[in-house]
Amino acid sequence: MSRYSKVVVLCEGRQDEVFARTFLVKCGFMVARIRFVVAPKGIGSGEKFVREQYPKEVIAYRSNRNRIQNSLVVMTDADVIPVSGRMKYLEDKLQDERQNPRRPDEAIGIFIPKRNIETWILFFMGQQVDEDTDYGHFNKQSVCKPYVEKYAKSRKQALPDNAPESLKLACSELARIV
Amino acid sequence: MLKRIYIDNYKCLVNFELNFGPVNLFLGPNGGGKTSVFETLQKLQLFVGQNRKVADLFTFSDRTRWQSSLIQTFELEIERGKKAYKYELAIEHDEKSRTARVKYERLWYERQPLLKFESDEVQLYQDNGTSASPYTFDSSLSALAFITPRSDNQLLTWFKEQLPYLIIAQIIPPLMGGESAQEEKFPSARMDNYASWYRHLSQDQGLAFQLTAALRKCLPGFDYFKFTEAGERHRTLKVFFTSLGQPSASTGYDFSELSDGQRMLIALYTLLLAAQAKDATQSGKHKFILCLDEPENYLALPEIRPWMVDLYDLCSEGQVQALLISHHPESIDYLLASPIGYWFERQNNLATRVKQIRAEDDGGLSVSELIARGWLHD
Amino acid sequence: MIDYTTIVVLCEDRQQEVFARQFLESCGVDRHRIYPDVCPKGKRAGEQFVRTQYPKQVVSYRKISRRLTAGLVVLTDADVKEVSDRLRQLESALEQNGVSKRRLEERIGVFIPKRNIETWIYYLMGRAVNEEDVYPYLKQESDCKSYVQALARNRREPLLEIAPPSLKTACQELPHIFPEDA
Repeated sequence: MSRYSKVVVLCEGRQDEVFARTFLVKCGFMVARIRFVVAPKGIGSGEKFVREQYPKEVIAYRSNRNRIQNSLVVMTDADVIPVSGRMKYLEDKLQDERQNPRRPDEAIGIFIPKRNIETWILFFMGQQVDEDTDYGHFNKQSVCKPYVEKYAKSRKQALPDNAPESLKLACSELARIV
Repeated sequence: MLKRIYIDNYKCLVNFELNFGPVNLFLGPNGGGKTSVFETLQKLQLFVGQNRKVADLFTFSDRTRWQSSLIQTFELEIERGKKAYKYELAIEHDEKSRTARVKYERLWYERQPLLKFESDEVQLYQDNGTSASPYTFDSSLSALAFITPRSDNQLLTWFKEQLPYLIIAQIIPPLMGGESAQEEKFPSARMDNYASWYRHLSQDQGLAFQLTAALRKCLPGFDYFKFTEAGERHRTLKVFFTSLGQPSASTGYDFSELSDGQRMLIALYTLLLAAQAKDATQSGKHKFILCLDEPENYLALPEIRPWMVDLYDLCSEGQVQALLISHHPESIDYLLASPIGYWFERQNNLATRVKQIRAEDDGGLSVSELIARGWLHD
Repeated sequence: MIDYTTIVVLCEDRQQEVFARQFLESCGVDRHRIYPDVCPKGKRAGEQFVRTQYPKQVVSYRKISRRLTAGLVVLTDADVKEVSDRLRQLESALEQNGVSKRRLEERIGVFIPKRNIETWIYYLMGRAVNEEDVYPYLKQESDCKSYVQALARNRREPLLEIAPPSLKTACQELPHIFPEDA
């Protein structure tokens, strides 16, 4: 039996990792087949790490996609800049490394919570949120699990109108992965 | 130097062949056959070196399970300078009695035969090529094992004497005690005889001095070794450490009191220094071939690479040969900056296949990361 | 002589690594304090590896040198480019990553053999070399050892006129690593 990583998740921190893992497992991926590349704590900004690793992971994804059915999930906070701006940073970085832009048929999904992942989690928890406030970190990263699982179960349904715009945009990325 | 091995019908090794360089890194999933190669080397070493019965070493159940062949075949090529020895052994098993006999055993030096043992008859050849009178021999044993050194069989003798320099070890520090009943010339497979081995090595004062110097650099506080008497022939190995506050005063510990990691470091550096020592190698007449199964076990992360660098240097200078089994990223990423890796795997639980590792352009992912993802070979 | 706690060697391949390690060791650096960061075999051009890693290693060096006596030795072949171009590429890599330029007092030495490290090695072996030809790899990387050791021993003396210009340039980098040699 093959034991290769089916999904690689490139993200800024442990909260993103917990979020992504919970979501993917609920969507049917085996934990053992998910490989996390998380920005090391305390060494520079998570956003910069993701941006720099992104081309490497895209190259790795493209090198292996003929042999292995794999996907790449990228999670990076928008912070104070628009989601499209963050997306452009990633695409520019790809171009700097002389790589072709991401294609529609590639299983590379880019998820950019604004202002950060906590915005989405609090929304799932039923709270009123906006995309400007920095809601700060949770004491326990695992607190998001039941809410993420619930969202994963209902992911095919349309989001309510008051959902953060960045979450609505992220949903269109889902089809590349699940 | 070990040049080539061929193994057929031993566990998962079927028609298996591998050529070796100065450094060789075996990688791959567990159960892939890496340790089976080491096992084979060890059994051949014991067969020729310790007069063991063939059926004791190569049991009926060691044959490849999905094959019905009763013949196991082994070939070993060892280089000596620019020439090479070739040792061939075929073992025939009897299904009913579950015994085994030597079908043939041959030793060649380049194309020159040195020994042929077939059909219970041994034909020996002198160094000058002259054949001696054949004689009958027990096919449950190695004929080579019973040849005594003479002035006219130096070529054969060299091969026999080289075999013990094949150090096949999976070092288990918890088994490394400090008691020694006698000196031992070579380390055991688990290095549980370290004290006895060091007792032998320390006769060479130069080596003892160098080892002390090396350990003072890599083992914080290490000062020196000392043997204390524990009976007429028994000795106990003690290790002395300096204390920060009292650099002139050392505290002694029984060797067995050291941590697993400390004992592992000591074992590894002793191997490196013994491999270079004049006395241990008989002034370079023989070279150590280190076959180490996961040598980085028990070591702290910063301790791994310095030892690997030392080992790599010795190997590339031709002073020692290394065959390493590793799962550790620190070893893998350092060593695979050279094309020395072999990937062992078994498809559908059948025979082992080996591929040379060639890291393709994967955008800057380390080899260990590719392996962790299962992307290196799949 | 600086007692380095740690010195990283960032380089393109095993031959450069062996060259650098032998040199440093012959200059008195404890071999166990030398940490090689070598481009994995078969990967993209070693030059790209060094260029990508260089800013990270500089940042690391700056952080660690606050606490420890650290050094960074960088080796990268010039190939068909000029040594100054290769140096400029490395400086650009720093700039692109928001890392400030290398400062004079920093123990960061950048050594750029042209055309490649084999040019220097064959020169040290006494052969006539130029900086255009590609010289063959050594049979064993360690074959350069005694020549590199001799270079290290005589590092304070000026090189001969016929020495490759890139080697002369490299000698000017030495005081970054061994300030007592200045």
